[in-house]
Amino acid sequence: MARDRGQSEDYSGPFKRLLLGLLMLCLLGLFLFWRIDSPRVERFRAQVVDRVVPSFDWAMAPVTGAVNILRDFQSYQRMYQQNQDLRRELQQMKAWKEAALQLEQENARLLDLNNVQLDPRLTYVTGVVMADSGSPFRQSVLINVGARDGIMDGWAAMDGLGLVGRISGVGPNTARVLLLTDTSSRIPVTTQPSGQRALVIGDNSVAPLLDFIETPDQVRAGDRVLTSGDGDVFPAGLLVGQVIEDRGGRMRVRIAADYERLEFLRVLRSYRNDRIDDPGALIAPGAGPGPRAADQANAARAGDE
Amino acid sequence: MSDRRLPRASLMCTFYVGLSLAIVFCRLLPISTLPPSWAGPDLWLALTFAFAARRPDYVPILLVAVLALGMDLLLQRPPGLWAALTVLGVETLRARAPALRDLTFLSEWAAVASTLVIMTLSYRILLTVLAVDQAPLGLGLMQLLSTLLVYPAVALVAHGVLGVRKRAPGDIEPARGRI
Repeated sequence: MARDRGQSEDYSGPFKRLLLGLLMLCLLGLFLFWRIDSPRVERFRAQVVDRVVPSFDWAMAPVTGAVNILRDFQSYQRMYQQNQDLRRELQQMKAWKEAALQLEQENARLLDLNNVQLDPRLTYVTGVVMADSGSPFRQSVLINVGARDGIMDGWAAMDGLGLVGRISGVGPNTARVLLLTDTSSRIPVTTQPSGQRALVIGDNSVAPLLDFIETPDQVRAGDRVLTSGDGDVFPAGLLVGQVIEDRGGRMRVRIAADYERLEFLRVLRSYRNDRIDDPGALIAPGAGPGPRAADQANAARAGDE
Repeated sequence: MSDRRLPRASLMCTFYVGLSLAIVFCRLLPISTLPPSWAGPDLWLALTFAFAARRPDYVPILLVAVLALGMDLLLQRPPGLWAALTVLGVETLRARAPALRDLTFLSEWAAVASTLVIMTLSYRILLTVLAVDQAPLGLGLMQLLSTLLVYPAVALVAHGVLGVRKRAPGDIEPARGRI
């Protein structure tokens, strides 16, 4: 083997080795650069994805559609059964709808009586899922709205019912939604009715972990999980799912959004509210709780004495 | 003879690029967004190794590097590291290809397996050292195993359908080392 190589790569060897060395230098350099300054490289990645994936789109949409049709076809075999189930569910839903309408009216009346100011209504942009992460290790999807539509990093993405994930990586025409199930996803939530704060931690399984609960004893399986809005991550009160207990006795979240078929996602526009950091001018109008207020207080005390 | 060989090599190159794009395309299809409980094989890697172990002249190293980097970027891996390891693996197999030519398929499989295991190990070790978030170990091992298991099938397809065959001793070596 050594003889063979020695003969055949006699004078192309150095050039090849140089090329190989340069390649390795570039690739490892890029990796190290990513490790040091990942936002910049991630932005570059978003640009590349933005270029490449939409050019696949003309073929991707029909193929995905065809596969889904095939899958639907399989479910036709159980059509009668499904029809019965749906009828029964619809009956239950009607009852719930009635209850919800009554509650909504009551709520509106009470709010009106109390003159309560609620948050301004969230508006949203709806996008279509173009591609998924393509790897079993990362859970994310690519949607066809991006910086052009005003999408910004960190906004929440929902399907019709519950939270799906958040925007992480925006290109001009595409944006990546990091799903709740990804190993790097952490969302602050509260549980209801117990009102405990916790984190939903993705671990590459269907039901992400519920951890860092304030008092774990008070959280029961079946509790509803909503975003808490802590740390300015999301608007508060978006539905995430329900608490379930796994076989190991750990709390997990059954996600309300239909992860099996993510097709249309709505991205909530959430501009940061003004934050209130200082305690405000409580002592005297125009004077903050700074040195001036302290001076005034001192002067008043001196006058008393 | 070498005039006739050159188009064939570039034809196979084009074929290889086309197959790679098709594989990426299939992986990006948003068919299921549930987190999988198993990890399928990395078909592209198996294909590249099958080419590299049999006919290294069909997979120029620059092409492999560009494709691997592109996949790193598209498939949300840390960019560059896996591509660098792939380039090293392909170079290792390329260096071994002349020796493998006279041996059985089993030894080729063993060579591919050892390369892939070393690549996966060093990937995980480097990521751990640099404190990068990693996929669960079980999934990584599953992907490694399934890639190794699927390798014979990929090699068979490459051999039978695409005609990527080892050079027979009687073959004239076309333009080797002439660049």
